[in-house]
Amino acid sequence: MVKKVAFKTLGCRLNQFETDALATDFYNAGYKIVPFTEKADAYIINTCTVTNTSDHKSKYTISQAIRRNAGSVVVVTGCMVNNQKELLEQRGDITYVVENNRKSSLFSLVDAHFKGEILHPSDLKQSLFDFTVAEKGFHTRSMIKIQDGCNNFCTYCIVPMVRGRASSRPVEDVLQNIRQVVSFGYKEVVLTGVNISRYEYQDTGFEDLIEKILELEGDFRVRISSIEPEGFGDKFIKLFAHPKMCPHLHLCLQSGSDRVLMQMRRQYNLHQYLNLIEGFRSNYPDFNFTTDIIVGFPGETDEDFNQTCKVVKEVGFSHVHTFKYSVRKGTRAERMPGHLPEKIKHERSQIIRDIAEENKLHYRQSLVGKQQTVLIEKVQKGFARGYGEHYVPVKISGEMPKNTFNTVTIKGLSDESDPQLIGQKTSKSAS
Amino acid sequence: MKKNQAAKYSLLKPNIKSLSPVSDLMPLPVYRLHEIRDLTPTSYIMRFDRNNMEFKAGQHITLGLPGNNQLREYSIYSTEHDPYLEVLIKEVEKGMVSKSLHKCRLGDFLSVDGPFGFFTLDENNLGKKNLFIGTGTGIAPFHSMAGSYPALDYSILHGVRTTDETYESSFYPTERYISCTSRDDKGKFKGRVTDYIRKNPVGSETIVYLCGNVEMIYEVYDILVSQHFPVDQIKTEVYF
Ligand SMILES: Cc1cc2nc3c(=O)[nH]c(=O)nc-3n(C[C@H](O)[C@H](O)[C@H](O)COP(=O)(O)OP(=O)(O)OC[C@H]3O[C@@H](n4cnc5c(N)ncnc54)[C@H](O)[C@@H]3O)c2cc1C
Ligand code: SF4
Repeated sequence: MVKKVAFKTLGCRLNQFETDALATDFYNAGYKIVPFTEKADAYIINTCTVTNTSDHKSKYTISQAIRRNAGSVVVVTGCMVNNQKELLEQRGDITYVVENNRKSSLFSLVDAHFKGEILHPSDLKQSLFDFTVAEKGFHTRSMIKIQDGCNNFCTYCIVPMVRGRASSRPVEDVLQNIRQVVSFGYKEVVLTGVNISRYEYQDTGFEDLIEKILELEGDFRVRISSIEPEGFGDKFIKLFAHPKMCPHLHLCLQSGSDRVLMQMRRQYNLHQYLNLIEGFRSNYPDFNFTTDIIVGFPGETDEDFNQTCKVVKEVGFSHVHTFKYSVRKGTRAERMPGHLPEKIKHERSQIIRDIAEENKLHYRQSLVGKQQTVLIEKVQKGFARGYGEHYVPVKISGEMPKNTFNTVTIKGLSDESDPQLIGQKTSKSAS
Repeated sequence: MKKNQAAKYSLLKPNIKSLSPVSDLMPLPVYRLHEIRDLTPTSYIMRFDRNNMEFKAGQHITLGLPGNNQLREYSIYSTEHDPYLEVLIKEVEKGMVSKSLHKCRLGDFLSVDGPFGFFTLDENNLGKKNLFIGTGTGIAPFHSMAGSYPALDYSILHGVRTTDETYESSFYPTERYISCTSRDDKGKFKGRVTDYIRKNPVGSETIVYLCGNVEMIYEVYDILVSQHFPVDQIKTEVYF
């Protein structure tokens, strides 16, 4: 009988990339991938531990899987494992607990299990980059892992402890991976990793790598996932003039106060950050910036917070991922004085969310009357939907083939709670 | 059934004694302690194996006792050329690691990880004038930089309470080292480093490195901004 396997991913895009690759391993071996809400023979949970909330969500998801089908194999992997391995093992109800550096071999563990062989997770091969190319059916864009780990040790962050030291994937592997996904028909590649701007493989830095990627042949575009505002210069800005580059960056700010940035041990100050934004906007006025903000960092005063609000408004981030600061054990910030009550964090987070909502509307409206090249992801109920190059959702009336680029003119915004751009086709499908 | 499996696997768990917050799964390398040099009753220099560690002057390591998952960052005090590693540590009141490290004995082992950090000299600016401003043990990375690059054009502003805390200042040529003492008048300058900067504005061609506590760094930063000093030429290393 065909075995069913269900996946759940928590946290970042890197985790999503890794889950997709794992799902592909199972799919290729004849397993049936089923939704996580269904009964399955194996549940694979790719956890996150970046905040308290992620811990809770991860634990809740594990319990859900255990309850859903008694006797199924429950595999827990991801950052929570690296942070709380012993606790997870001691629970006694999780079949396998697999650390990040062995995640890529997880299929062999589960497959062996169903064949009656018992492997121990520590027998699995260790590799950070040995992931299968994700099956095209899962998404229209393919994530390309170029890097893992981080050496920055921002004072609030547990990631360097759970993902380990920065490590860059060999250039040729990255290029080969992209050639392969493009040959499979993917039209968008998203460069992903933990701290991608610190990519460095032998003599090739981050900007050099992008340059090489842009030289590859094929009908695809390149998107950069979340990135730290450091480790690159003017050359990076210039690279966005290339037609394959998508004019969008999720450029992590975290705070608009220099004092807080210093206490976070971020590698830039506000002036440098704003200079970067200015550098992009003076070349590409519509450039879309989204960001992460942490509210309620220990010692964050009203003045610090107001400064953050001011910057969020001024830059006009079209989306802000707002995190309430939460203590991560073993980090420097845990030992800092001035931890703030939950109530203040909650209020501040709401204020940022409200500003971000206004920004979003404003940014989307600014695209009305302009053109977008939309990669169609879904065709449903007479509408085609996808994202334009600026990473804003676009809804187009009529049928359009999935996974094709279409140039549209933006006519207005839909009246949905998350307003989409309404596009009208202006040319034939580009592919 | 699953409970039994989990129990079976837990027998196979590696038995790691030296846990670090960096990862519960990777034991850190241990380095043998060769020397502790007391500079004041509460500040000292620890010298230990280098174990071929490659680092750039200004970087830091994390350091702790094996078997204890409390690690702390310490700037490397020794130079890029020394065959050993040294750090300069000041005991912090109620501090967990800074006090316990002081109790180590020669021959003991320390857990060390690194090097880390980006507070280093910019190769393109090596020929330029550098102003190093540090408070207390915040002089450590500058000791490494000055020792690693003898031709470097630099001045050090060292903020301390009293001249007892000027930590091996004879290492630097007299004209390059300015102690700013806030609680005695035996230093070259009586007052804080911030007072010094207010009175002696920094030339715009200088590269400024700031290291130590965040209040000092932030205040100096503000003063420099008010003096129209180009902020891109300021590098910071915040200790706490
Ligand atoms: C990149 C970097 C480099 C560093 N380099 C050095 C160095 O070269 N020499 C050195 O002595 N220290 C250095 N530090 C500080 C060091 O890492 C520890 O914070 C310090 O030794 C205190 O650790 P502890 O375990 O004794 O105190 P903890 O138990 O961590 O803290 C006890 C209390 O003291 C406060 N505290 C923490 N650090 C300090 C401090 N430095 N001064 C005053 N109060 C503090 C805490 O907020 C807490 O309330 C560096 C820090 C960083 C981030
Ligand atoms: S750059 Fe900072 S926030 Fe980002 S992963 Fe590294 S330590 Fe964490």
